Amino acid sequence: MGRTDVVAMILAGGQGARLGVLTKRIAKPAVPFGSRYRIIDFPLSNCVNSGIEIVGVLSQYQPLALNTYVGNGHPWDLDRNNAGAYILPPYQRSGKSDWYKGTANAIYQNKDFIDDNNPKYVVILSGDHIYKMDYAAMLKQHIAKGADATVAVYEVPWEEAPRFGILNTEGDDSIYEFEEKPAEPKSNLASMGVYIFTWDVLRAALIKDEADPNSNNDFGKNIIPMLLSEGKKLFAYRFSGYWKDVGTISSLWETNMDILDKPEEINLVDRSWKIFSRNPVKPSHFIGKDGRVKSSALTDGCRIHGDVEHSVLSESVIVEKGAVVKDCVLLPGVVVKEGAHIERCIVDFGTVIGKNVKAGPNVEGECAYTNHKICSQGITVFERGLIIKDNAVIPANSMIDSDIEVSDEESVIQSTFRV
Amino acid sequence: MFNNAMGLILADNKKITLGELSGPRALSAVPFAGRYRIIDFMLSNMVNSGIKNVGVLTYNKYKSLMDHLGTGAAWSLDRKNDGLHILPPYVNSEATNINGDEELAGVLDFLRTSRTTFVIVANSNVVLNTTFDDMIEAHEKSGADLTVMYNRDATKFGSPSYILDVDEDGFVKDMLYNPQKAASNKSSLGIICLRRDMLVDIISKQMSHGITHFGIHSMVKMFDELKVYAYEYAGVALRINSVQTYFNASMNLLNESVRDDLFWSGEPIYTKVKDEAPTLYFETSDVKNSILSDGCRIYGNVEDSIIFRSVTVSKNTTIKNCVVMQDAHISENCHLENVILDKNAFVRPGVRLVGHHDYPVVIGKGAGI
Repeated sequence: MGRTDVVAMILAGGQGARLGVLTKRIAKPAVPFGSRYRIIDFPLSNCVNSGIEIVGVLSQYQPLALNTYVGNGHPWDLDRNNAGAYILPPYQRSGKSDWYKGTANAIYQNKDFIDDNNPKYVVILSGDHIYKMDYAAMLKQHIAKGADATVAVYEVPWEEAPRFGILNTEGDDSIYEFEEKPAEPKSNLASMGVYIFTWDVLRAALIKDEADPNSNNDFGKNIIPMLLSEGKKLFAYRFSGYWKDVGTISSLWETNMDILDKPEEINLVDRSWKIFSRNPVKPSHFIGKDGRVKSSALTDGCRIHGDVEHSVLSESVIVEKGAVVKDCVLLPGVVVKEGAHIERCIVDFGTVIGKNVKAGPNVEGECAYTNHKICSQGITVFERGLIIKDNAVIPANSMIDSDIEVSDEESVIQSTFRV
Repeated sequence: MFNNAMGLILADNKKITLGELSGPRALSAVPFAGRYRIIDFMLSNMVNSGIKNVGVLTYNKYKSLMDHLGTGAAWSLDRKNDGLHILPPYVNSEATNINGDEELAGVLDFLRTSRTTFVIVANSNVVLNTTFDDMIEAHEKSGADLTVMYNRDATKFGSPSYILDVDEDGFVKDMLYNPQKAASNKSSLGIICLRRDMLVDIISKQMSHGITHFGIHSMVKMFDELKVYAYEYAGVALRINSVQTYFNASMNLLNESVRDDLFWSGEPIYTKVKDEAPTLYFETSDVKNSILSDGCRIYGNVEDSIIFRSVTVSKNTTIKNCVVMQDAHISENCHLENVILDKNAFVRPGVRLVGHHDYPVVIGKGAGI
């Protein structure tokens, strides 16, 4: 394997504002997922498993955690002599410097990086989906059809089609139109945000797009329609495996729960297509005499002395005696103290849930932290590095954010610390 | 942290066999504590002490050890200067006797090319989490030629035990091998420190006297010629001298104080990473007082056990007081008690297997029952 005529570029610079406090300090692709992973592990592992060895990771928003996590690419075997993982932040140049204005502009600003690697094809990926996909198979179709661009598509239920960028195709899967969130869709083929371009074609398109002051510099909105109007050959590549967007709190929660409810769909134990990650240096997990774990996923460093049911726990989570954790996603280092009862909660790095705290759909009403814009379906989200007061009662659909100004009486936060 | 020492780990021990467990591998490569090999502890201790140059001395059965250690990257020992050196015996056409003095000659070369002042030499039959800063400081302060680490376990772990008779200034005046009646409760942990140039001298001298085997206690035994200081280690140290002590050491991990000492209070213990999936507990599972590693699928009952990576425990199956190594598969309706299952073992449906807690049943690597 190991193709050096392909460069993959992962768009990892977005904020992911719909994840609320989870992306306050880190970029969305660095958000932990599925007990052992970060979201970006999926596109990175897909690249390596597909034989792509040159991977640019475009970072911009809160890059520290992402840059540290990707590092030299070693966990994904991307520390190669003449290839590997490259973090590509926006940079200063003589004359002018810019943040990445849009997805297409981010690639435009790094065209020298791509040119230096002299690829024939460029794979453009986003860092916010959970899926396993063989980009080599997609490239094979791209080459076989003599395409200028290939867009991976996923058949979504017709009633959901208006939420997606939809590609309208002919019988041979050639694309004749792209419609962003059409009210009356003509097709149910949603763009997955996975593109393969012949680099010469994309290079010319990016330069033309950059010269247009009215462009949003976006792949879906600008580059694809431009190529279509120029009569370039664009094809859809049909993908039918597991594919989930984790861009919102509810979809992040649901996708985590999929690991428990339909483990065979994403199939993380498949050794022919491993999802690699930076492994924590922690001992195996421990379940105590009073612990009870059902229908859950656990990993290294967890210590369980309470009840854990239908939950996904990241490394080094502690659940104390008498605590109940149900339908939760607990990120690394979270502590749930004695007697606490939390349901449908996503708790970020290191936060300590105090003794006898009650949170979840069983708690009715609203509070100062209620946030229906970010939280729905009774899910409550806790920021990282909080110590939640003992005995606090937190209604569902809350987002516990230390930046919200509330009176001492209403506050559920005892103190904050840096993680 | 200091940069002034190098490490040497003796990866195997001709006096110790763990039956079927050490059949396919060196003692130091025996899996332990869910996701480690025994050598991970000593390697991590050295790295956590700031040691950047570690030699691992092997004499046979080193394939699984080499697979495990690789370039040493997991311990940050993949370095341009120094790093990890696996020292297999020199085998050439003239000297095919691999237990000959090639073993020592290889060590000498390795020691001579280093630039550090001190060497830590360690056996691999003890599991502990420490750094060697205090030991080296005590060594320098005592003015000794050689310092040996001990604790007060006496002979309770069985053979081989080396009991130290220590004078009131802390120097060794006698050492007894497997004594019937112990002179003291001070038992060597098989870890020594000394100046590198002195170790080179000792080995050269031994070679010229026709001694071909490199052993830690043969040096401690030189207390008549050298000043040998005894340094007490007060933390948890689990010795692995037999299948029985291996089993006991594993079960000891279920004590919170032992786990805290080995894993949570000191520096981290590094090991080769495997990128397994998280462990899934299904609705029918019931797990109590057990250690489990990544990649497992648990449908059945697990109690008082150590489960390694990617193990399947099927429905209506009970695992009690067992050590189950990587990739083992236990089918439905089984009952296993006081059993050690080695890697890749396969237990067919309905098997009932009960050992005694003083004498566990060992199922070998890849066996099907």
